[in-house]
Amino acid sequence: MLRKRCAGPLLLVLLTVTGCQLTQSAFSRTVGNAGAVFSAASTTLSYAHEGKITSAYAQASFVNYQSELDGLDQQLPSQQGAPDKRTVQHLLDLYRPAMQAVIQPCLEESCHWQAQVAALNRASQAFLMAGG
Amino acid sequence: MKKWLSITLGIVTATGGFLDAGTIATSGESGARFGLGLIWACLIATVAIILLVEMMGRFSAISKKTYAEAIRENFGFKFYLLPLLSEVIAESILLAAEIGGIAIALSLMTGISWRILFPPAAFLVFAMAWRAPFDWIENAPALLGLVTLSFIVGIIALGGPSHQLLSTLWKPEVKQGELADYLYLVAATLGATISPYLLYFYSSGAREEHWTSSSLLLNRVTAIVGMSFGSLGSIALIFLGAMVLQPLNMQGSSLGELGLSMAKALGPFGALLFAVALFATCLGAALEVVLGVSYNIAQGFGWEWGEDKKPVEAARFNLVLIIFLLVAVAIGLMGIDPLQLALAGSTVIALFLPISLFPFLVLMNDPQYLRDKTNGRFSNIAIICILLIAFVVAFVSIPLEILSGGG
Amino acid sequence: MPITDDQIFSIRDIIDSQLETREKRRIGRVSDIEAIWQEDGTLVLSSLVIGPQALAGRIASPLRSIVRFVLRDRFDHGIPLDDVEDFGPTLRLRGSAADYPVGQSDAWIANHILRWIPGSGH
Repeated sequence: MLRKRCAGPLLLVLLTVTGCQLTQSAFSRTVGNAGAVFSAASTTLSYAHEGKITSAYAQASFVNYQSELDGLDQQLPSQQGAPDKRTVQHLLDLYRPAMQAVIQPCLEESCHWQAQVAALNRASQAFLMAGG
Repeated sequence: MKKWLSITLGIVTATGGFLDAGTIATSGESGARFGLGLIWACLIATVAIILLVEMMGRFSAISKKTYAEAIRENFGFKFYLLPLLSEVIAESILLAAEIGGIAIALSLMTGISWRILFPPAAFLVFAMAWRAPFDWIENAPALLGLVTLSFIVGIIALGGPSHQLLSTLWKPEVKQGELADYLYLVAATLGATISPYLLYFYSSGAREEHWTSSSLLLNRVTAIVGMSFGSLGSIALIFLGAMVLQPLNMQGSSLGELGLSMAKALGPFGALLFAVALFATCLGAALEVVLGVSYNIAQGFGWEWGEDKKPVEAARFNLVLIIFLLVAVAIGLMGIDPLQLALAGSTVIALFLPISLFPFLVLMNDPQYLRDKTNGRFSNIAIICILLIAFVVAFVSIPLEILSGGG
Repeated sequence: MPITDDQIFSIRDIIDSQLETREKRRIGRVSDIEAIWQEDGTLVLSSLVIGPQALAGRIASPLRSIVRFVLRDRFDHGIPLDDVEDFGPTLRLRGSAADYPVGQSDAWIANHILRWIPGSGH
């Protein structure tokens, strides 16, 4: 698999070989990025309720988080470097509630925003851990 | 008196012209991911842009020619196509990013999705490029861009960087598997700061304002003070990212995220200041990019050009401007996040830097153009070294980024 | 009359030079030149050529015929050398922009495209 990818002109071979060492696997990269975005979402939601940002600011940010995280559940299992099924399943279980919070962040006082922050933090930590 | 006023204005302009979606994106992400470990790249890029801006002003003031005119006349049409094509490819990506940056800034203020705000943002750029006179374009966004200096206030409000963080200045922490990302950001930092569009714009500006050899002092002060001020804003943003985002494990991968550091420091007002700074710098840069490329093409082909003329008086120049904006809008409507576009555009620019700027070095050493004001040896060697670093780093990191599925 | 250094031009001085009309309008750059063999065997510069075909030929000669096939000589125009009033870094022409097909393209774009956009000054 690796050999196949590294085939080609000499330059590309060189770059690919070094590339295999200098970069992370696609899986850890995706997972690590997602962890970072979940952390950003959690911080944004907390800041909104602590009065550090306006709810307009939070709303605009969540649009971006959503597009960064969209479709991750389908992508994850098939990615190069993915670990055993159980680990992936564990991540997916955390992904769903966290993603729910990203899609419909609770920016009013009336709803249960602390639970959303907690879900986002759990997902963030697990994803960052899995991403190394 | 008037001279000092114009020096002040020049500095303000340069400060605004330095920062754009590219520098904001690279600085914020650098800080969040590698602490202060990329400030060195920012510093050498600043040296390069100071030298280049000073040279460009000197060149246009003395030879009474813009850069694009001189490339075509001195090297011929075939050669001129090289910097032209590299310019058009890289800057169209960057223009899409700048317009996206304006849209995101507006969206952070209003809560409306940036995708909806993208067409109005593009229209704003068009309306200003279409009819606003040259000094208006230079000064209005640039004055607003001074808001970026509030980033420094933010750092102070947060209590300044810790000792541990300061040590990443000379010992960058690059975790295993992250070297490719680090190099990609080095390339992006160099490409974002050493922006050829700024140089085309500056050399045309020197002509639009009829600079002569007596403008050389103005030129030198503008280059040094203005660019250093600009660089201060971008370094401050690296600090903010490193102090606030990195401990929270954020990567600074969207523009709104970068403003959270200002929010932590100064509350909603800080977040608003960030959004205003983003708006102003991206608007200023979008205008400079679209005009820079239109100037380049019109001057290279010998057409009537100038922002102080009515559009019909420089019809081909204005037509290019419209077409180029439409191309950028098409790229923007593909829905790629502006920050990622800005990073990609900046890295491509870094890759093309030798093509864009080596002809300039040749011209700067030609007494036919500069009489006794040709380049000294130090400037030549410094620029060659920095351009080569940018090229090599970009050449290595772009394939790596693509292979690892990032970028 | 002896010829001084200022009066000797190389092709490089002419090709790619800026063309400016009587009223100081920049209308384009010299893409190529045309010369004819005189009966006495000398080669004499006859006209300046401006247009995409000529430019394509400057990139690579085969390109010229390809572009010619597409554009069919529609956009390439010659300006007789006699029309050049003043040689130098900029070639000053005797006529005004309206006298040359290249000079009319700005007007064409202004009249057909830009006039529909508000604020064009049309």
